[in-house]
Amino acid sequence: MLDMIIIDGLSFSLPLFIMAIGGIYSEKSGITNLALEGFQGFGAFTGAFVTIYLYGIFGAESQVPYYAGFICAVIGGGIFALLHALLCVKFKADQVISGVVMNILAMALTSFLTKRINASFFGNDANKFMLSASARITVPGLCDIPIIGAAFRDIYPFEIMILVVAVVMWYVMYRTVYGMRLRACGDNPHSADAAGINVYSVRTIAVFISGCLSGIAGMSFAYSVSANFSPDIYLGYGYLSIAALIFGNWSILPALFACLMFGFARSMGAAAIHQLGLPSSYNDLVRTLPYVLTLLLLVFFGKSNRSPRALGQIYDKGQR
Amino acid sequence: MRKFTQSLIAIIISLIFGALILWLMGKDPVTAYTDLLRGSGLMEKVRYSGRQNMFTDFMSFIDAMTPMIFASLAVALALKGGFFNIGVSGQMLFAGFCAHMAAMILPSKIAVVIVGLIAGALIGALIGWLKYRFNVNEVVSSIMMNSILMYLITFYINTFYINPVSRQSKSIISAARLTLSGFRWEGLKIDIALAFPLAVATALFLHWFIERTTYGYEIKASGLSPNAAYYAGMNVNRTALMTMTLSGALAGLAGVSYFCGYLAAIQPGVVPSMGFDAIAVSLLGGNNPVGCVLASFLITVISKGSVYMSSRQNIDMEIASLIAAFILTFAACSSLLGRRRK
Repeated sequence: MLDMIIIDGLSFSLPLFIMAIGGIYSEKSGITNLALEGFQGFGAFTGAFVTIYLYGIFGAESQVPYYAGFICAVIGGGIFALLHALLCVKFKADQVISGVVMNILAMALTSFLTKRINASFFGNDANKFMLSASARITVPGLCDIPIIGAAFRDIYPFEIMILVVAVVMWYVMYRTVYGMRLRACGDNPHSADAAGINVYSVRTIAVFISGCLSGIAGMSFAYSVSANFSPDIYLGYGYLSIAALIFGNWSILPALFACLMFGFARSMGAAAIHQLGLPSSYNDLVRTLPYVLTLLLLVFFGKSNRSPRALGQIYDKGQR
Repeated sequence: MRKFTQSLIAIIISLIFGALILWLMGKDPVTAYTDLLRGSGLMEKVRYSGRQNMFTDFMSFIDAMTPMIFASLAVALALKGGFFNIGVSGQMLFAGFCAHMAAMILPSKIAVVIVGLIAGALIGALIGWLKYRFNVNEVVSSIMMNSILMYLITFYINTFYINPVSRQSKSIISAARLTLSGFRWEGLKIDIALAFPLAVATALFLHWFIERTTYGYEIKASGLSPNAAYYAGMNVNRTALMTMTLSGALAGLAGVSYFCGYLAAIQPGVVPSMGFDAIAVSLLGGNNPVGCVLASFLITVISKGSVYMSSRQNIDMEIASLIAAFILTFAACSSLLGRRRK
């Protein structure tokens, strides 16, 4: 029972966390990112396509398609994110509108391409890519610790991947020159420019990174939630991770706590409802929890919650 | 006029893009596009099934277009006042749901409209109030409200109001439905959207309201520069609240004409994507109420006509939403190319 809560909670919170980091990168650089939902979907689409294509070459048992899929999800998400960067940075489009449009475009493009690719590569007319179930790893020794041992049992390989990437991303954000420049661009792009930083390229790279990280998240959801890629992947998890990053006050570690809280609230709620013998539709009541909490946080602690100062502002070099 | 040209350019580029894709798929773009018009009842089809002709197709097209007009007006009005109402989806869902509930007690079309209007306005007002009282960004609170409302309504429908066959909510009774479905006239079966005249009238009214009244002027001024409006002595907070309330009310009308008109039931588990599409439609219409009607017309031609096009040409239906998405993307670029020139 408790094991299930921990296992399910972690496998849901960690993809959410990596996507929230992506959002933090973009928003810390000053680009509002409502497009996470679209990025993760497009990443999952490219990843799932490559994975099932490689099934045909390596066989479904091989580990190669699994990891190649994740790499391609990263690349796919990143490339799609460049479109958002192009609109926001180069064309100076409104960032909120661009984000919404990116989501619409991702959904339309992936549904269309999934059908076309299925028709021309795999000779069927399904609207989804079926993935084989992900392997699960149990860490010997550590998994025997009472209670928290469950955190080391039945973990998806992507959870480890996410933790490693998250540590690297934390390091880049807070301990490198690029990370400092990125934060400067989000707080005061004009000073950053005066200090010789190319605001446009810093922001473009930040959005690209957010696409890459969302791609990991999308692929993880494709494995953990449904074991396929279909247009059903647009369930609003991108918006949930936006809630998490706001809840975490645009910082990586607090965002992790927010994601863990959201994930465990979800798995605990599901477990409680199962235990009480209520129908599964009661799960939907639990799922409002992250959003209600975020809204309440903003209402009561809105003053201490500080978004990057130049968030959403179009940066124009010639502007005074 | 410049905005009009920009939207036109966005549309033309996207149609060329779409034609290119169709051509690459080995289809004739011209026939495909005329099939869109045929499917929307704007051109004669080759063959009609019983009790149908071009007129009935056109009436169904109007039926599909009505909620989109309301939704895009909701976005346009909010944008005029400097707000992004990204919560139109949630407001539509809530209004549709409340109207369904109200129709069980009081089965009347007028009650449905009024309940929808009030329900949408309440959510809009809540978002506006959070904005000026607690300075909660309206984009964030709208997104949160969308999800909260979606899950609550999904829960209620799945638990108490489900139609086990269709796995949707129960249908609204026809006495309260805003679309006369299958109305017999001259041997035809017509779907009549009763809310359509209201939608057009609302668009014209809004145009007058924004351009010719003090309230409209205050909304515009607060949207362009809240500080300037404040120092000119306008009550910016009250205007903010009013803008979001009106926008929510319009979204509510979109909700009832969608869930209690075009459709008769609510699908649990999703927010209607129309609320998001409406943002882009409003953009395409240059945030002008009359422009919104024209843009809704175009987008509905593509979405409604795609059913016929895909069956005639053996093309995936998804191509239509792809072309629509292209139009919206280019509209997002072009409207801002204009801003830079200013």
